[in-house]
Amino acid sequence: MSNPELRKKLAALSFTEKIRILEKLRDRGIAIAKAGLRKGTSPKPSPHERSKAPEHR
Amino acid sequence: MRQVFEVLNRMKADGVISAYAIGGAVGATFYTEPAATYDVDVFVSLAQPPGKVLVSLAPIYEYLGLAKYATEGQYIIIEGWPVQFLTPSDALEQEAIEEAVETSADGASTRIMSAEHLAAIALRTGRSKDYLRILAFLEQGALDSRMLQGILQRHGLTKKWQEFSKKYLGAEDVQS
Repeated sequence: MSNPELRKKLAALSFTEKIRILEKLRDRGIAIAKAGLRKGTSPKPSPHERSKAPEHR
Repeated sequence: MRQVFEVLNRMKADGVISAYAIGGAVGATFYTEPAATYDVDVFVSLAQPPGKVLVSLAPIYEYLGLAKYATEGQYIIIEGWPVQFLTPSDALEQEAIEEAVETSADGASTRIMSAEHLAAIALRTGRSKDYLRILAFLEQGALDSRMLQGILQRHGLTKKWQEFSKKYLGAEDVQS
């Protein structure tokens, strides 16, 4: 399916369905922000996690 | 989002606001494909006491504060959605509230700005993302050209529309 076709299909959804998609997009954005992926780094481990992590050489 | 609509309707029923219309990305989503957004823009007409000249959003913050909704900067968090309340800054936004479209989502009724008003506001605001919104409306055939033309004329945006059309639609003399 081409991009214009996909956009048309999404635009034709009911407002209720579109709102559900908005909520999923928002939740995904929040989850990504919490994980620190937007900075291009993995989340910093807590001091507790650091103490448990195995050492790699 | 349903809870946001219900809270807005309750605010109107309780006389905190006299009218409202959802604009921004959520409003645009009514007409186009859903676009990720962090917040909900709600334009409100306030039920001001007679003789009061200054418009204040304080009654909204007080009302929602009593209902235990938290604030974050300019946002009030309603059931997980940061909601920004905006008073109309000019006649275009006031008209957009008055002529909003009644609809419902998830079993709750609500009011969304017309596609033509959203396009006119986007044109006036004039950021790249606003122009993309207008193009999305056009792609979906969401705009009534006669209605849009009337709004553009009433609010002095005809020349700006012609410039937009020339630049983005390749049209030399496009009315709407």
